[in-house]
Amino acid sequence: MKVRMSVLTAVVAVLIVIGAAEARIKLVALPERAATVIRLDNPAATLIEEERVLTLQKGLNKVDFSWKAVSIDSDSIRLTVLDHPEDVTLLNVSYPPNEAALVWEIASSGDYAETVRISYLLSNIDRLVTYKAIADKAETKVDLKSYLVLRNFSGEDFANARVLLDYGDSFEQGIAHEETKQMLFLKADGVPITKVWKWDSATLPWDAEKLNNENVGIPVSYRIVNDKKSGLGEFSLWGGKARLFQDDGRESTIFLGEDGSAVVPVGEKMELYIGDSRDIVVTQRKMQDSRINVRKNNRGDVILFDTDEVITAKIENFKDSPAVLTMIQHIDGQWDMAKCNMKYERKDAFTLEFEIELPARGADGPAVKELEMHYHRRNVRQ
Amino acid sequence: MKLGTYIIIIATVTCGAWAKVDLTTLPERETVQLTIYNSADLTLVRESRPLTLKEGANSLQFSWENTLIDPTSLDMLPKAYAGQIEISELVYPARVRNLGLWKIDSEVSGKVPVEISYLTSGLTWRAFYMGTLTADEKAMRLQGYVVVTNNSGEDYENAQTRLIVGKVHMIDEIAALARRQYPYGSPIAVPRAPAAMAAAPARTLARGAVMEMAVMDTAAAKPKEIVKEGLSEYFLYTIEGNETIPTGWSKRLPSFEADEVPVVNLYKYEEERYGPQVIRFLSFKNNAEHKLGETPIPGGVLKVYRNAGGAQHLSYTGQSAFKYIPVDEDVELSLGAAADIVVEPRLMDHATENYRFDSKGNVAGWDDVQTYRIKVSNTRDIPVKIEIKRNFHTSYWKLTNKGDCGAYEAEDLDTAKYTLVLEPQTRRTFEYVVRLYQGTRQEDWRK
Repeated sequence: MKVRMSVLTAVVAVLIVIGAAEARIKLVALPERAATVIRLDNPAATLIEEERVLTLQKGLNKVDFSWKAVSIDSDSIRLTVLDHPEDVTLLNVSYPPNEAALVWEIASSGDYAETVRISYLLSNIDRLVTYKAIADKAETKVDLKSYLVLRNFSGEDFANARVLLDYGDSFEQGIAHEETKQMLFLKADGVPITKVWKWDSATLPWDAEKLNNENVGIPVSYRIVNDKKSGLGEFSLWGGKARLFQDDGRESTIFLGEDGSAVVPVGEKMELYIGDSRDIVVTQRKMQDSRINVRKNNRGDVILFDTDEVITAKIENFKDSPAVLTMIQHIDGQWDMAKCNMKYERKDAFTLEFEIELPARGADGPAVKELEMHYHRRNVRQ
Repeated sequence: MKLGTYIIIIATVTCGAWAKVDLTTLPERETVQLTIYNSADLTLVRESRPLTLKEGANSLQFSWENTLIDPTSLDMLPKAYAGQIEISELVYPARVRNLGLWKIDSEVSGKVPVEISYLTSGLTWRAFYMGTLTADEKAMRLQGYVVVTNNSGEDYENAQTRLIVGKVHMIDEIAALARRQYPYGSPIAVPRAPAAMAAAPARTLARGAVMEMAVMDTAAAKPKEIVKEGLSEYFLYTIEGNETIPTGWSKRLPSFEADEVPVVNLYKYEEERYGPQVIRFLSFKNNAEHKLGETPIPGGVLKVYRNAGGAQHLSYTGQSAFKYIPVDEDVELSLGAAADIVVEPRLMDHATENYRFDSKGNVAGWDDVQTYRIKVSNTRDIPVKIEIKRNFHTSYWKLTNKGDCGAYEAEDLDTAKYTLVLEPQTRRTFEYVVRLYQGTRQEDWRK
């Protein structure tokens, strides 16, 4: 144990006469650590709370708290008196020079075996969360498991501590220095998922034919809603790495892919990118881009114009199952749609989202849909 | 068989300590299944082992020295006694590398089959193809192969081998996770540990063993079949039976064969893309009409040969690469520049007209009128299809044709495409006139 504590008591009179410096002389007690709590509710820092029984004498007491080979934020150290808060008062805290230590000066109105709680932020002990989900063959639901991974590289061994997360019951767990422990802490079977294919005109190539013998993969994600309907929704799902598998119908699974998830509050969606579909092919082309309504200044220079633009996109589904493709298109500046053969939702001023339902591939080839957008950008300044 | 992974069951009395005491069993793995990916260095291994558990708490030690296993992927699942066996935690103890300790609470005592799965790197597979064209180049025999290579450091004997076609999304490399000093890393930046294994130890099998294997292989009446099925966005190839692939070895297996796939000799000309040369493509479709179409074709290199003369002599035509071809998709295999098909565009006339002037009397707009003559020659003794693309670098253009070239197709806002079929040993010439609207003349342009 690297955190040490010693209680130094001195008679008040002596202190008054000799002064505080000589007070660090006699070791009266080395109290053992009693209940210890590791609080992991804040992902940025880990709070340790430990209880110790101090043998206090009436008068002024000095308690020396020092640590070695561990990293404690000294400003975070707090002392809470539990048994006689009215009669035991922490007067001041002093820091000895060049030492990882501090000295509490405690005034006590009687002789007490006082239980105190010492809290501090300890570095290099933390937790991670990982997810493992197994989808059914039809990809409608997943069996979700979440693991808590405790990593202790703090320099301190915790033989037996009560571990607290930001929700749920606390549990007893010991963890030695340099040890990592992985334990199951959430299991939800049959969590409904939505499979999402997303093609974004800003990030993906428009025409695979123009690439050098490469496929354009369309990102595929699973969407899980953190709510009661999904068998979740009791707490935020922590961010972490998620690995997805799928039941292959032969009592085995295949690995679908992995993604990192951010924190998902209750009611929000977790979207996990599993891999790319190469069985849906989008070929987008600009078929027209010309200026109309050109306005000129007195010198005859063009100062303002509108555009007349046509974009077509051919979407082919080579899969033997239907799919819903989310297609994102971007139009900059001020614009209006002259004609569009598919319904879209305007996500913001410059972003259009189409939900395109694609039937499965038929006997005579892939299912094909063609989007045609005819729009004008307005008041473009030269 | 040398195993890189070991399992040891430790009796529970020692209560949580991982002292290697009270060794009860060292179970062999009964079956092993490999699911190998080719878009990432990744293999899912699933093995079954019979464990002998005691009632109460059990500790199970698993170590993976000299392998490329990602320790964070380790998972264990009891395959019997549902609800009576709980795997409470997996501990990666301090100051020991490549070792995990499972804590198992069991209500049963005796043999329990468990399944252990993990991800490893070092096993790969790739597809490659051989194409043999008939003498008239109207059809091709297409043979697909897969090559599985094991550099994982672990011998896998009698493994059910499955291959995944598809692109999985990964955020970490399995090989990097396998080399980590601590399975989940450390909150403190630790100095990089030496690689878990610098290289898989080169394994040499005795010559006799190789011969024996060869005898066993030829003893089989026919090559192994590969069962193919779609799962999610991927295709799963399951190789019939089991395979033994010692570390350091590769194995080639036939994946499919299609005889007489009708092909079209397609030639493309596009100056901006290929320069002043014609590129040859073999084109067909991944469908039933072309004796294919049962499954997508995974990407890989194709070597194309042509039957030359009798007696099954071959001539090497060239090399191409497949990208992933979904079912019903067109395939275009580039075989490189061709000298026997010639496309010669020539500017025959150039004029400017329809001048517009600004308020100062300077030129503000005009039309460029260009006449091109395109000479196309097929010097081959087979019919060919030729696609000629012309780019105008502006969206303000108008095109009129002269001669025998069929209608053009507007490919996009500045490209027109002509498609011609030329009989053997023929030549064709056509002309087009393109009007390019420049400057303020663009205001007069209408589609």
